[in-house]
Amino acid sequence: MKNLNPKLSRRKLLLGTLQGTGLLLLSGCEKIFDGLSRNDKVQSLLELAEHGSRRAQRLLAGRDKLAQEFSAKDISPKFRSNGNPPPITMDYAADAKNQWTKWRLEVSGLVKQPASFSLTELKSMPSRTQITRHDCVEGWSVIGKWKGVRLEEIMNKVQPAAEAKYIVLRCMDTDSDGTNYFESIDLIDAVHLQTILAYELNDQPLPVDNGAPLRLRVETQLGYKHAKYIRALEFVASLDKIGRGKGGYWEDQGYEWYAGI
Amino acid sequence: MADNPVKATQRSPHLVYRHNRVTRLTHWTNAIALMILFMSGLQIFNAHPNLYWGNTSEPKKAFLSISAAQDGDDVRGYVELYGRQIDTTGFLGVQQGVLGPSARAFPSWLTVPGYYSLAAARRWHFFFGWLFALNGTLYVIYNLAVGHMRKFFLTFSDAKKVPAMVAYYLHLRKTSPQEGEYNPLQKMAYTSVFVLLTPLVLLSGMAMSPQLDVAFNWLPAAFGGRQSARAFHFILAFGFLSFAFGHVFMVLTQGFFNNMRSMISGWYKEEVPTVIEPPVKAPPTETVIAEESKISQEYTESQIQTPHSAAPAAKIQTTPPPTAVDAALSTPEKKAEKNEEPKS
Repeated sequence: MKNLNPKLSRRKLLLGTLQGTGLLLLSGCEKIFDGLSRNDKVQSLLELAEHGSRRAQRLLAGRDKLAQEFSAKDISPKFRSNGNPPPITMDYAADAKNQWTKWRLEVSGLVKQPASFSLTELKSMPSRTQITRHDCVEGWSVIGKWKGVRLEEIMNKVQPAAEAKYIVLRCMDTDSDGTNYFESIDLIDAVHLQTILAYELNDQPLPVDNGAPLRLRVETQLGYKHAKYIRALEFVASLDKIGRGKGGYWEDQGYEWYAGI
Repeated sequence: MADNPVKATQRSPHLVYRHNRVTRLTHWTNAIALMILFMSGLQIFNAHPNLYWGNTSEPKKAFLSISAAQDGDDVRGYVELYGRQIDTTGFLGVQQGVLGPSARAFPSWLTVPGYYSLAAARRWHFFFGWLFALNGTLYVIYNLAVGHMRKFFLTFSDAKKVPAMVAYYLHLRKTSPQEGEYNPLQKMAYTSVFVLLTPLVLLSGMAMSPQLDVAFNWLPAAFGGRQSARAFHFILAFGFLSFAFGHVFMVLTQGFFNNMRSMISGWYKEEVPTVIEPPVKAPPTETVIAEESKISQEYTESQIQTPHSAAPAAKIQTTPPPTAVDAALSTPEKKAEKNEEPKS
């Protein structure tokens, strides 16, 4: 028969494909994906999704839309804290006792008027209060009431230079290796109406567990962007020379810089 | 050109061109994307293996938890669903590693990547999430354009035939109620995937995004809150898994090689003798009629094992033995149906 040979080879091809698929699925799957997950080229391909998400989501959200604000009855009984333990230095502990009289927020970098602010000064500036949902990258959510100064107020005081694109937030907490926490957001998120430097949680001074004396609230993004224990803001044009160049403590360990999803 | 249905049908009368290039490409892209989405999703779930209803995740209010607990010298894994605890040691909750047992909701052989990395799992998940959505969009636009979608959309009259189709598969009924390319059960499965599962899994996934929640405040609310959206997303993922199991089961039992070949090369082997030039010249003689009815008799018998193409057989069975005129009438119809699809 004329058709016999093509059929046989087709069958062989099918069997080969199936065998390959079976092997991939059963034994090799885990190793293959582990290898691919550690491969830089594959990872940079997968990173395309991050840029796609950022562009698409920001297009949909625009600049003026707000995160949902809840009512007082929605507030979670306990605002869960996560990440590094609070800073353990003597200075931090002593200052915490003295209601942060020594602490100052240093603002520097690509700004026309570098400045520093005491907590009292920040509290005397116009404030914003919001009850919002906090979403951790791990999957959990809590609702809390925040009071703080809008980041845009600070920007108006220090006057960022035209080339400034990002704000790096320097923090006082460290991981077990002694690496300081830091984060960065771009100026689009910085001027969002709900982006505040918060000094109160649920009508109380910000607790040590939740980032005293000052933490960021950036309601368009996941929890790890909301840097705690802030000591300084630095306006920069590029994130390349900050940490390992990815723009944040967790970003340097593989998490996305854009945490809107 | 292998993609030209008419030429190819002439080349081998027993093979029909069932799946065109777009269908095959989107099918396998979809299969890979769904597998990676499911497995990386389990890894993401492992970061917080609890599900809640509502907006927030208040401790101890989870309706589903996977956890590990020390039991003497032993570490045991548990799944707790609405307060009922099931010991799942060996599968869920705890996994034996080189360094001894460790808490892990879903085992490493079910997750992408296998080692614990929420960051890596998220990268896989979002890349293939985009791919899944874009691939699905391509499929829907293409098939709406060529008019293929309506062939598998479940209508009310199809829905009424679902029990008959189930009975047929269970060998409780001799004839298949199928009319057209897809049987009622297939239509129900595909329609629910297109109308329910896919939109809901995408929306519940997007409802977990803080930025999209800024864009659409109603999105998490539509699911009953962000944690509810997370729970729905998880449950819907298992909806896809059960569809995949059902799908693979049908492929395995309803002519595995034939089905695989048709989704790889496009060609499906029909047991129907395809008449390329229908005999319409002279009125049929007695012998032609006898031959024709013999062929359709064989055809009917052979079709019982392959329900997909059993529909014409079922039609023939209920009518008197077909004449050559019947054959001539039915053939162009079949041809027209085939010509409609492959235009790649």
